[in-house]
Order: sequence, then structure tokens, then C-alpha cells
Amino acid sequence: MRLAKYVKFREEKFGGVLFETRSEKVFTLNPTAAAIVREIQAGRAEREIGRALKERFDGGDGVIETEVDAFIAALRLQGLTDE
Amino acid sequence: MSEGSDDLAAPLYVAWQITNECNLACLHCIEESGPGKAFRDELRDDEVFAVIDQLVDQDVPYLSFSGGEPMVHPQFFAMVERACRHGRQLKIETNGHYLDPRNCERLSELGVKAVQVSLDGASRSTFNRMRVLGEFNTVVEGTKNLRTAGVPIEINFSPTRFNIGEIGAAVDLAYELGAYSFYTGRTMYTGNAVKTWRIVAPSEEQYQEFFSVLHAKADEYRGRMRVHFHEMGLLEELRYRLQNPAALLIVLPNGLVKLINALPFVCGDLRKQSLAEIWSRFRRAWHDPRVARFIDDLATDPRATSALHQWVHV
Repeated sequence: MRLAKYVKFREEKFGGVLFETRSEKVFTLNPTAAAIVREIQAGRAEREIGRALKERFDGGDGVIETEVDAFIAALRLQGLTDE
Repeated sequence: MSEGSDDLAAPLYVAWQITNECNLACLHCIEESGPGKAFRDELRDDEVFAVIDQLVDQDVPYLSFSGGEPMVHPQFFAMVERACRHGRQLKIETNGHYLDPRNCERLSELGVKAVQVSLDGASRSTFNRMRVLGEFNTVVEGTKNLRTAGVPIEINFSPTRFNIGEIGAAVDLAYELGAYSFYTGRTMYTGNAVKTWRIVAPSEEQYQEFFSVLHAKADEYRGRMRVHFHEMGLLEELRYRLQNPAALLIVLPNGLVKLINALPFVCGDLRKQSLAEIWSRFRRAWHDPRVARFIDDLATDPRATSALHQWVHV
């Protein structure tokens, strides 16, 4: 999985932004979401992302994995990723 | 994940009018561009490239080059190359008269995100009446050249009282030509349109029919081509923007930076200030009481937009 061709990511103090330049839609991201996007950009496999972020965003058993799954589903729904 | 933010480190979009020179002299042109209409103080080549470098350094993801006609700028392709080489997504907004096969191939090779072509009509007679010195067939051929070269195409349509009835056919033509997106909205009372308003201004009844056709076309082309239109009037749009400024800077050919095209307010000068400084000024400037007052005054005097080129520094 990777960001779609027309999607740009930029880090911000509050986390980050995704900008879909075809529809000119902007999505603001909290720090967890921004970290997930960084992992996607780094080429990490989807199933590995939750594990990779577990230490940094400790919310108890399975919490970060659930957040990662939900966020990636939202990215797909908005057409912001390519497989 | 949510949309919008007023706390960004830099703009997300810079719309840059790289020259006011144009090969056409369109009846409705908001910039009053035309042959010999370049500003006397347009940015020099070294200044142009320094601005692009700042846009890259500030990680501005999305740029557009417009004009005037951007493709008549002597450094046009060098600017495109510089912006695209650093991963910016770049849209070119052109009147479509320089889209020969070679130029389209170059745009494709350089990796522009899209080329937006102004095609205000589905027939030669209406188009040529509106686009003085323009030629409909050249634009259609140029758009086909873009498609052949694999450059994503957007079509822009400006309505006037004599082309507005062709809107349905114009949307169909855009799709036939391979566009992925079609844009339109209300024509603004500014620039050349102030002088030609009697000839160009559509009536409210025409606009009602126009938007009704566009709603139907948006449904018809859903999933194949995005039909995008601004139905709200300028006043409503500006009131919305006052509360929700877009992360968008408008750069004029001489390096001045405007808050938004439909307001006369200038918040910076790229010859004197850095992009980062101008971004701070931009965010403050939207809170300047003169901005809100100008927008309020439009409610009673919609023709105040006739003076958009008399810049007010805030």
C-alpha cells in the first residue's frame, strides 16, 4: 500500500495534513494518524504498522492496532491510497 | 481524520499568475490580460526561480501557474521543470493555444499534475466571440494533443449570456476530449467584464437553468468525470472564506501576494519578504477589519468588485 499519486503528506506541529490535489481536499491528521502515514510512506507492510507504533502510542492491548485498522480503512474509503 | 486547518506551517496551495501577458483579449478576463499587458515590474528570472526554491523549501505541495497566458512566459518550461523536479504537484491553467504535440509531450515528461484548459463553449462561434483573438479549433486540437501525450485534463468554462446555453454540450465535449474534471461558476464583475458587462452578464434566469443542467450533468458523469461548479454567489463565498480562509496564496506577476482573487487586499511582497513571513501576514490579514468591511459592503454594492486591481495593502 502507498499514498495515491495525487496525495501529498506534510508534517505539522499538530500531526500532519494529507492534501488530495485532484479534488483539492485537505485532511488534518492527529499525531497517531500522521505516524501511520509516515509508516506507509516508508513502505512498511500494513500488518506491521500497528506493531511498529505500539511502543510510541501505548494505549493498552490492541488499541493502536484497532486505530491503525480504522485509519487505513478511512484512507481507502477516501481514495487516498493505492494498493 | 477531518478536513481543514487554520494552524498550518505553510500554505498548501500557491496559485501563481506568472505573467499578465496574453495572446488573447477575452471579454470577461478578470486580470485584464492581453497582448502587451505584461506588468512593467514582473519578477525577473532570478526572482522567479528564487520563489520556486522557497516554495520547495517550505514544502508547499501544490502549485498552479496561470496568467495572463502562462505558456508565453519566456521561462515557462524551465519553471515547470524546477517545480516538478522537486516533487511539487503542478497545474497549468492555459487558454490552450500553445498545446502543440511537442509542448504536450514536454508537459507529460516533466510530470505536471494537470493542465486546465479554458473552453467556454461547444461551438466555434460562441467561443471565438468571447475569446477575442482566440480560435476554438486550436483549443480543441490542443486538448486532444494533451490526451495523446497522457497529460490529465481539466476544462474550465466561464459563462456569459451568449454561451451559457451551451453548457450541457460543453460538458459533453469536455468528456469527449478526455477531461477528468470540469469546472465552472458565476462570472465575476471585475477586469474586462466591467467594460463588457452589458454583453456578457447572464441573467438570473439563465443561471438557474445553467445550474440545473450542471446538476444533471454531475449525476450523468458521476464516476467518469467530476463536474464541479460554484453555485453560491460571490458574497456568500467571501463570507465563508472570511471564517474559513483557504491555505492558498495568490501570487501576482510582480511578486505581490493577495488574500484571495476576489478581494483587493495584498498581504505581502515576495521581493521584500520571505514566503514564511508572508504566510504569517496572510493569516493575520484575514482578521483586518477592512477585509470584513469590504465583504459587508458588497452586500449593498456588489459592483465594488470592479476595483479589485486597486490593491489595498493590509
